[in-house]
Amino acid sequence: MNVKKRVLSMVAIMMVLAITMTGCGGKKEVDTSHLGNANGDNQTGDTDASAKNAAPITYSVFIGAPDQQLTKNNKIMALIEERFGVTFEFEYLVGDLDQKTGVMIASGEYPDIIVSNNTQDFINAGAYRPLEEYMSKDKTPHLYSHFEPYMNKIKADDGHIYVLPNYGRYYNDYIITDYVGPAFWIQKEVLKEFNYPEVKTLDAYFDLIEAYMDKYPEIDGQPTIGFEALSFDWRSFCLKNPPAQLSGYPNDGGVVVDPETHVAEVFCNTDKAKPYYKKLNEAYNKGIIKADTFIQNYDEYLARLSTGAVLGMFDQGWQFAAARDSLIAQGKIERTWAPLAITYDESITPYYLDRGALNIDRGFGISNQCKDPERFIQLVDALLTEDWQKILSWGIEGEDYMVDEKGMFYRTEEQRLNQEDTAWKLANKGGQFFEQLPKLEGTFSDGNAFSPGSQPYEYRSALKEIDIELLDAYGVDYISELLGRAPENRKDYPAWQIPLGDGTDAAVAEQQLHETQLRYIPQLILGSPDKFDSGWEDYLDKFKSIDIKAYESRINEGIQERLKEW
Amino acid sequence: MKNEIMGSVVEDQVKKKHLRKKHHRITWKQIKKQKEFMLISIPFLVYIIIFSYLPLWGWLMAFQNYRPGKALTEQVWVGLKQFRLLFLDERFLRVLRNTLAMSTINLILGFTTAIILALLLNEIKHRLFKRSVQTISYLPHFLSWVIAAGIVSMVLGSQGIVNVVLMELNIVKEPVLWLSEGKYFWGIVGISTVWKELGWNTIIYLAAMSAINPALYEAAEVDGAGRFKKMWHITLPGIRPTIVILLILSIGRILEAGLEVQYLLGRGMTMDWAETIDLFALNYGIKIGNYSLATAAGIFKSLVSVILIFGANNMAKRLGQERLI
Repeated sequence: MNVKKRVLSMVAIMMVLAITMTGCGGKKEVDTSHLGNANGDNQTGDTDASAKNAAPITYSVFIGAPDQQLTKNNKIMALIEERFGVTFEFEYLVGDLDQKTGVMIASGEYPDIIVSNNTQDFINAGAYRPLEEYMSKDKTPHLYSHFEPYMNKIKADDGHIYVLPNYGRYYNDYIITDYVGPAFWIQKEVLKEFNYPEVKTLDAYFDLIEAYMDKYPEIDGQPTIGFEALSFDWRSFCLKNPPAQLSGYPNDGGVVVDPETHVAEVFCNTDKAKPYYKKLNEAYNKGIIKADTFIQNYDEYLARLSTGAVLGMFDQGWQFAAARDSLIAQGKIERTWAPLAITYDESITPYYLDRGALNIDRGFGISNQCKDPERFIQLVDALLTEDWQKILSWGIEGEDYMVDEKGMFYRTEEQRLNQEDTAWKLANKGGQFFEQLPKLEGTFSDGNAFSPGSQPYEYRSALKEIDIELLDAYGVDYISELLGRAPENRKDYPAWQIPLGDGTDAAVAEQQLHETQLRYIPQLILGSPDKFDSGWEDYLDKFKSIDIKAYESRINEGIQERLKEW
Repeated sequence: MKNEIMGSVVEDQVKKKHLRKKHHRITWKQIKKQKEFMLISIPFLVYIIIFSYLPLWGWLMAFQNYRPGKALTEQVWVGLKQFRLLFLDERFLRVLRNTLAMSTINLILGFTTAIILALLLNEIKHRLFKRSVQTISYLPHFLSWVIAAGIVSMVLGSQGIVNVVLMELNIVKEPVLWLSEGKYFWGIVGISTVWKELGWNTIIYLAAMSAINPALYEAAEVDGAGRFKKMWHITLPGIRPTIVILLILSIGRILEAGLEVQYLLGRGMTMDWAETIDLFALNYGIKIGNYSLATAAGIFKSLVSVILIFGANNMAKRLGQERLI
């Protein structure tokens, strides 16, 4: 009896607790909304057009990339709250994006706003709300004119617009200063050692590395490593993509696209690829490549690059940014790398530097559960004005940048240092929110560059000694110029954006191509040189069971659609 | 003496059988008598239904060309197409081979090492020493595979301790790239798993050993049995039911060779040996959005597991051993 009583009273207590807790929650909500209303009323006095519906609103945002939360009273976010009454609750990616996407789709519960690389999955699941109805010349003039020339590009297959692309729409002059795209990278110290030679071909590149290795078998006590080819997971484009670029094609992913006929073709099993892997085979047997480059995972790769003992690699600049930063922090700037646009032979024009294409399928999308989509679009529209873009990109005048007598923006040394301080940035910059917004890239109407990094004076001031020496030696102003001029984009460029569709034969073929390359290319490279040619024949055989046609024809279909519609 | 022990064991089993028979007849009276028990079990029953049976609904995916976010009525039904795809894929056979090989290796290595370590630990009388060995040996269990795999790949790297030792001893001239050779992969996974789980696996055996009546040891000692004789004739038979039950459970999981280890330690070059059913379902199902194929692979796994559990259970019954069901 006693026990029963005790249990009963326990249950009673728990229930009371539960009730009070939910009660509290409800009350709190009421409270805040009340508070908010008061705030909103105050806001109506403001000049902004959007202020008339300025009852505070909080949007939940999922950002499909790992990042740190902005600080609670972040300067930019506070400004947006003050002006528009809009606040955000950001959820950043933890773990694997595909998995998170799957869970979100399966549960059917979405935050108000979704940003991720898996846009297509969310579209297929019907998670996004079409945005056309909120975008018009009158209601959202800035957004409208921003995307007007590209309306067909940003539409999904079903004709609706679901996401607002974040990058790739340029205004006025556009200067690419820094370069984070694909290239054959080489340590600046190597170029310096040989008095900044012109390196144009694959052979010259490896000769240079070999010569440096002979001279310096060790760097800071570590054995010198000539060349790295990361071949881990999806990051293995370092191993897979070079043949296309060496043959003078831009980065279209797994295919090369003929600029005349617009026909895409897989190149990993063609004569375009053979000379490159033969070269790597040769380099391995000379000791320039270490065999374990093929078994490194991404972290091990970064760790190795961070030692400063790696002379060169094929990679995209953004992928090893962490290693570069680490070297700079260690004070080994001369051990960081400069990009080279090399080809099989000098008759081929390199095509590494490209004109940023509109980054379709990436950016803010509004979920079908969003409370007030219109308000959000209005906000994005308002933020797309030059004034706001300056705040987002440069900061607050006088605080984060200065203006000289000609009206040009610049930063003081202290302001520049702030930009390297992660903690400062979390409190004073827009972080991922700004990253994902549509932007007025290029140059503002007053002649200032959109981003401080593209402002010539700022760029030059941020350079270190060895960079200036290197740029002067090659007679260029910007690192990106080392890669030559960017040709006009093919209309359908880039092909790697073309979605293959869920579980289609094309998707299966792509996965098989990927696995086959990772499985057999290292074997070819690690063999003895006299067996390479017969090994290559065996390698070609492995592709016979793969439905390459399905993959190619899906890409070609996508290209044709783009040619027709874009 | 020995006969007597055997006799008591047999008697025990007879008693148990008897009890079991009695339980088979369920009467109203009995139900009424046990209504508290039944009430207590309801939450667990609900839990099992919600988390183990309701998800089976998802198996329908295997018979569709499933597209997420669409209603059931909008899905395209394809019958057994996904299963056909699965079994006709030569890759699947290889994946099956890898799965079976790795889990068999894990099973045998895991069982023998854990039992041996438990037997040895059981003989140690110095408490502090015993405790420290136990703690140290089960610490790796608490590491996530991500970290454990990182340690393994460092140890096996070209500058790793294994290569350094082998080179110092002049056994090899060049560092061996352990992770680049498919033929080493199963072994690496087996040894890594043993290293990680060994200590943890001994716990249950040690618990079983502590339940053995000390009088048996004393009696054996009087009869002149040494350490090894005691281990062989008393400790091992004493934990036999535990071993058998664990074995039955593990056999049911034989197609679960794991996903994380292979995913984290496997490299492009070793994929032919590293890809397990789970990894296959990840690469060809979830990664490229073919959820139906992944589900079909999952169903296949479950069916095989159920068959194997019943098989093993039956075998145990025939051998007159402890059973699960």
